[in-house]
Amino acid sequence: MIKIENLEKIYRTEEVQTKALNNVSLTVNEGEFVAIMGPSGCGKSTLLNILGLLDEPDGGNFSFAGTEVAKAAERRRAELRKKHIGFVFQSFNLIEELTVFENVELPLIYLGVGAAERKEKVAKVLEKMQIMHRRNHFPQQLSGGQQQRVAVARAVVNSPSLILADEPTGNLDSSNGNEVMELLTELNEAGTTIIMVTHSEHDARYAHRVIRLLDGQVVLEHAHV
Amino acid sequence: MFKNYFLVAYRNLIRHKGFSFLNIAGLALGLTACLLIGLFVHDELQFDKFVPQGDQIYRIYSERTKTETPETLAPVPPMYATTMKQEFPEVEQTTRILMESSVDLLEVGDKKIYVENGLIADSTFFEIFPLDFKYGSAAHALDAPMSMVLAEDVAKSFFGDENPVGKQIKMNKTSFVVKGVLQNNLSKFHLKVNSVIPLSAAQLPKERMKKWGWHQFFTYVKLRPGTDAQQTQAKLRSYVAEKVNPTLPEDDKVTDLSFLQPLHEVHLYSANFKYDSSVKGNITYVKALGFIAAFILLIAGFNFVNLSTAKSMQRAKEVGIRKTIGASREQLMLQFLSETVLLTLVSVVLATVLTALLLPSLNTFTGKTMTFDLLTNPGLLGVLVLLTVVVGLVAGFYPALVLSSFQPVKVLKSAVVTDSVFGRVQWLRHGLIVVQFALSVFLIVCALVVFRQVSYLHNKDLGFNRDQIMFFPMRGDNMNKHYDTFKNELQQVPGVASASIGYGFPGDQVAGDGIIVPTNGEDKEKGVTQLMVDYDYLKTLGLQLVTGRDFSQEMKTDKDQAFIINETAVKELGFGTPDKALGQTLKWKVWNNKNPDSLKIGKVIGVVKDFHYKSLYDKLEPAVLQIFPGAYWKVAVKLKADNIGSSVEGVKQVWAKFSPESPIEYKFLDNNFDQMYKAEDKLKSLLWIFTGIAIFVGCLGLFGLATYAAERRKKEIGIRKVLGASVGSIVSLLSKEFLVLVLIAAVIAFPAAWLAMSRWLQDFAYRIDMPLWAFLAAGLTAAAVAFLTVGYQAVRAATMNPVNNLRAQ
Repeated sequence: MIKIENLEKIYRTEEVQTKALNNVSLTVNEGEFVAIMGPSGCGKSTLLNILGLLDEPDGGNFSFAGTEVAKAAERRRAELRKKHIGFVFQSFNLIEELTVFENVELPLIYLGVGAAERKEKVAKVLEKMQIMHRRNHFPQQLSGGQQQRVAVARAVVNSPSLILADEPTGNLDSSNGNEVMELLTELNEAGTTIIMVTHSEHDARYAHRVIRLLDGQVVLEHAHV
Repeated sequence: MFKNYFLVAYRNLIRHKGFSFLNIAGLALGLTACLLIGLFVHDELQFDKFVPQGDQIYRIYSERTKTETPETLAPVPPMYATTMKQEFPEVEQTTRILMESSVDLLEVGDKKIYVENGLIADSTFFEIFPLDFKYGSAAHALDAPMSMVLAEDVAKSFFGDENPVGKQIKMNKTSFVVKGVLQNNLSKFHLKVNSVIPLSAAQLPKERMKKWGWHQFFTYVKLRPGTDAQQTQAKLRSYVAEKVNPTLPEDDKVTDLSFLQPLHEVHLYSANFKYDSSVKGNITYVKALGFIAAFILLIAGFNFVNLSTAKSMQRAKEVGIRKTIGASREQLMLQFLSETVLLTLVSVVLATVLTALLLPSLNTFTGKTMTFDLLTNPGLLGVLVLLTVVVGLVAGFYPALVLSSFQPVKVLKSAVVTDSVFGRVQWLRHGLIVVQFALSVFLIVCALVVFRQVSYLHNKDLGFNRDQIMFFPMRGDNMNKHYDTFKNELQQVPGVASASIGYGFPGDQVAGDGIIVPTNGEDKEKGVTQLMVDYDYLKTLGLQLVTGRDFSQEMKTDKDQAFIINETAVKELGFGTPDKALGQTLKWKVWNNKNPDSLKIGKVIGVVKDFHYKSLYDKLEPAVLQIFPGAYWKVAVKLKADNIGSSVEGVKQVWAKFSPESPIEYKFLDNNFDQMYKAEDKLKSLLWIFTGIAIFVGCLGLFGLATYAAERRKKEIGIRKVLGASVGSIVSLLSKEFLVLVLIAAVIAFPAAWLAMSRWLQDFAYRIDMPLWAFLAAGLTAAAVAFLTVGYQAVRAATMNPVNNLRAQ
């Protein structure tokens, strides 16, 4: 599903050049659950942003679902994003002016899905995330765990083939965190590919495979059994 | 999709109430000012547009080239129309209106009313101006000599609601027959019409009508379709030069330049015309107001842009999320544009309501009858819709561009979006503030200069004492015949200091005429103002003699052989000094229809100090005063300072004795003078109001920006405070940035304001020097207003607990 080769990303400020990613090569197959780990500043979020087509690499190849996207235009990347990728963030990133229902509905609107179908799909996913009873609440009226469930619901509502999770449990207590991890596992078992950045060894154990980064380079790759 | 946009827009609006208020209030206020000005300007531009084929109609006017500064005269001699009708095939029709400013006494049965604005016109008047008739018809309405057409209001006051066509009406004791009644819809006509009678009724001597030098007729020509007016104008000039002048004696040759003025320009482009009785506007003021409207809209629009980009920090996260989810840049731009259009719509609706509420006041102020009815005027609705869309799109475009350009990777990571993201909008925001303040400073300077000049106009020492002088025209045969007893009795009234009868009182009409100065055995005629006075003129007006003596009843020769001149005349007539002027001989062609060549020959017996009998727009002219009972038409009564009320009563009683049939219509001379500057007074008020609005709207924006600046620098302020910064130093830190902008604005605005105001002042023959303090005051006002606006936020930010600020990061 994802194949990157010799990926490079360089951040420049006036005086300093930082190599955030240095010759990273990586393959993620369909249906896999991969965790990316490493200390702060090792480049894992940069990698995730590139994988999520939010950011462009400075060098190397990146093939997404069989097409080369390393130099794709923003329009094309937005297109791929909305069709194939769902995002889950540490800070939930829900739109505060929209209700739970409307937040989850948003990706479908951008996909041009009709109103009746949207309603049905959103209801279904909210049921699944057990947050249906809160559908008319605004994000700030929900607990952190509930907000993250909404965020996951939004990520999966258009059935993406890939979910990118950036420290999805980082702002949650352990029981809420476990709940979210269970959700992701379920999705993965249903066939969705998941790539997750995490600090937590505990969370990483949910993944099939762990990739460890240090100073922008892959230093270790190992599979969980 | 749009439902989602509007939902978010609506909730944003509600959530950030203060911000929404600033944005909407500023724009609504700006739009209201614009709409009101727009209505006024539109109304001014509508004058005479209702006249069918108005683009073929021209007024002939002439420019005097003989005088030192060219004078533009609205009336022209009678022969222009006659000649053009006869000799110029491209002229379809002409009509003339006799210039006369008398008030006519209209009588039906016992009812008597004095009515102004009675026109004496060629019978072709209604062919050029086919006005709507309520009763009767335009065709042949003025054919018979004793015909009269009445305005609806006048007809109503005599005949009520019945059709008066065919009925008798007396004008100044002569009988006329009512031939028609005009509809009451002439508010956009440049002529004030209460009655129209044909020229034949005036029984002007035939010889007079053949004059080429008697500037007495407002003359209109209608050209055939497709005629080039410029060519006709050139043709007229060369006709006069080649065909007319050779037939005239040397003294009577036409030296004036004639012009064809399009009908549609008569109202607005005749501000400096002399002897013009049309309803005048002033294109300079109309344009100035148009500029101010544009300024205010610009300021309000800039607010919008500024506040929106400032607020975009809070929207950055939303943009990031939407983009991550898959929104394209176009979709986001569309979203933000629809938000601004929505905000604009709310503002426009508010502005519409405000305009409707304020319009009656504007109508009272301008004396207009403007309407703001959306139901009957679909064009207006179109303007509003257009305004919403254009303002919404223009003001929303830049914020939308900025917002939609945010990169999700950057905005989602940091909890607070830092300045770096906004670096490039900083200069724009600052630029907009500079422009806003430059416009405000410009308006403040203008308002102050206009204010100074207007109070100068009202308060300048005019060289005579204008206080407590009652002023009224003579009425009725009895009064005219016994003017001396009338005057005597007036002077008997306790409380009356003195009284004078004549023609040529300050603030009223004066006659211009020639005076002949014999120099080196040759008679030379010079144009001067003729003030027809009596023995008490100087005393009544408090004029000061420079040398010589006043007219005296003791001196038998004073009536027919004496002149008094003013200081300017001493110079212009070439006498050198006042003392040398004494005893010099002057000759004057007496106003006498029977014997136009009779001469009054006399000596200069006195010189008066110059005094302003005209408005301060006009330069002092040479003036000649003489005793001439033939023009005893107006009365000035000087009252003593106390008990004015009973003095006025006393004057009224004397009046009633001499002219019981008509009520006295008096004014006070100083009011007369103040009337001259009505346009300037109004300009002054309008400038104050709109300058106020511009500053207020600008401040709303500045306040909003200061709020966000303080917000943005919370962390910095926190750190500074932890390190020991005082509240004062932080306030100055935050305010300095804005004050620098105001300073730059002032530097830009000053030269522009200087130029604009110098040009305005140029129109006045007597004017103030450009007041430098006005510039200083404008700059300080702008700075003070900016400081107060920003300071409030700065103090708030500076007194906050730094721990809270730092933790928030």
